[in-house]
Amino acid sequence: MTYTLDADELSIREINKRLKQLSRTGAEIHIVNSRARHNIIVGLLDRCKITVQGSVGYYSASVSDGPEVIIEGNAGWALGENLMSGTVSVTRDAGASLAAGMRGGSVYVGGSAGARAGISMKGGTLLVRGNTGFLTGFMMQEGRIIVLGDAGESVGDSMYEGTIYVAGNIGSLGSDAKEEEASEDDLIGVWQTLEDHGIDQRPAFKKIVSARRLYHFDSLERLEMSAV
Amino acid sequence: MVMPTSQIFTPWVIDDIHTKADLGRYRLRGFSTFQKVTHFDDLTFLSTGLTRFPLEGYKEKCETRTVIGALNPETPLVLDTPIYISGMSYGALSANAKTALGKAATMVGTASCTGDGGMLQSERDASDKLIYQLLPSRYGFNPSHLIQAQAVEIVVGQGAKPGTGGMLMGVKVLDHIAEMRDLPTGIDQRSPARHPDWLGPDDLAVKIEQLREATDWKVPIHVKLGACRVTDDVKLAAKAGADAIVIDSMVAGTGASPEVLLDHSGIPTVPAIVMAREALRELGLYGKVSLIASGGIRSGADAAKALALGADAVAIGISALVALNCNREIPESDFVSEVGVPAGQCSNCQTGKCPVGIATQNPELTARLDPDEGADRVANFINSMTMEMTLLTRSLGKSNVHSLEPEDLAALTLEASAMAQVPLVGTGKVFGT
Repeated sequence: MTYTLDADELSIREINKRLKQLSRTGAEIHIVNSRARHNIIVGLLDRCKITVQGSVGYYSASVSDGPEVIIEGNAGWALGENLMSGTVSVTRDAGASLAAGMRGGSVYVGGSAGARAGISMKGGTLLVRGNTGFLTGFMMQEGRIIVLGDAGESVGDSMYEGTIYVAGNIGSLGSDAKEEEASEDDLIGVWQTLEDHGIDQRPAFKKIVSARRLYHFDSLERLEMSAV
Repeated sequence: MVMPTSQIFTPWVIDDIHTKADLGRYRLRGFSTFQKVTHFDDLTFLSTGLTRFPLEGYKEKCETRTVIGALNPETPLVLDTPIYISGMSYGALSANAKTALGKAATMVGTASCTGDGGMLQSERDASDKLIYQLLPSRYGFNPSHLIQAQAVEIVVGQGAKPGTGGMLMGVKVLDHIAEMRDLPTGIDQRSPARHPDWLGPDDLAVKIEQLREATDWKVPIHVKLGACRVTDDVKLAAKAGADAIVIDSMVAGTGASPEVLLDHSGIPTVPAIVMAREALRELGLYGKVSLIASGGIRSGADAAKALALGADAVAIGISALVALNCNREIPESDFVSEVGVPAGQCSNCQTGKCPVGIATQNPELTARLDPDEGADRVANFINSMTMEMTLLTRSLGKSNVHSLEPEDLAALTLEASAMAQVPLVGTGKVFGT
């Protein structure tokens, strides 16, 4: 069953309420006239398929677990924020803090993304076909970021774990980030992800991981030491 | 007269310099600031005489029911007492401690709060009213847990270390804690200070709307601020749409903070409440947006004074832990050998060596805390505080703790008069206006 929600005729509250009701039935939903409004598709916890015909504002497809979302346009800040599972894709560009705190699933950006893409990421895969801004993967904890274009300044700053792959140029490495050679298995995995998104390129990638120099304080007090 | 030692380079200052010279970094500890600051003891209630008559202190009804966040949500947080248990993480605290706090909250009809690091299921099961925190770290944040919450608290800062993120030393980041937080086991965790997805108050307004959408507009959204630039911060939080604002002062507790922030940042609870109250009044939102005070609330008297100054409720952290036996020698403990100081002087929560099983993840130590016995103690303590509040309230001739007002107070010091904006005893004058 396919439903169409006209965002011109509904408040954000009504849209999300309808989405929650319809998603429980596993329905396929189209949203039209989204007009870059904030908080479209928030808090969905069921598997369903949603297509937005137009751009969305902040926090689209956020704090959700399971939906398959396609946005035919641009997205504002924090697209796919705290996604637990499911897929989110936007055909054009995404704003800052893309996939912030994402814990699972996958987020795909057909164009470029702003600053802090994959900030505090805790799992899943983030794929950006164009470029990303500064602090890509800032304080990243787990998961994988793939950038087919260039990444800005301070890539992987303060990252704990996880991996960032950049095919283009890197502005600079962030604090405690280091570049290491991507293994064949790494590249096969990344190329598979590209293929899953219909991308037939097979570029080489720079692989950025944590240097793990900031995992611990350099020194401990006597009582702290005896506790370890 | 020759003084015996320097008043500037005291023995503990000398020891501090020696330690830092060995260590090469700032020092850490738990508990709260050691600074002597103006606090509730510097205020006194003006009970009844001939100008008004008291209620019977032990008998007449005195209302303590507290409603938080009635401005927007369908179901505001309704508490039987204006005292709830503030956010303390599972990680900083043991599972037994968190479960005991949740259970105690339920026993007295109030709320407990998750803290950083995600929701512990046993606390959720024990606590009828659980406040779910959203912190910059987003450790363990899960929309399925979010929708179970009775309130959501966006943490902008905490009083013990405003302007920086949480901290959990590696000794406490064992496998089960690391897994909940998606972190490598054993790291010295220094959490983010900024939220990953919003920066300023304009973004915060959208974030609050997002959380309302995720929770179907049902529960209150709190914003917790470390008390610094209180006037502006409270106005911005209220304007962004918060249902309740938590002001956490420099006196507030912590499981681990840099000492330099504990003792040298933030402002005390008394002026923080007054500044927050006036900020809300200026916006026409006083009495609409709820105001919650935390930091150094140790008794019913402190809580009553906080309410008189303008708070709708108070949150307790350290006091609840002390009720759980923090800093008390128990049969299984030996404070001096285990943490190097006698019971009553311990602030070593960051080491994970808590001799009473509260601030630790060591299974041998956590076994020293029985969550049921602990819950009884905390519930007793909150009941005692509530009784103290109602006793004071009745002595002022009032039948509802929320009727307490600044006019019921006087200051015992010039500084308290200026900070609390109440008259200095014996002068009839409010200083600093």
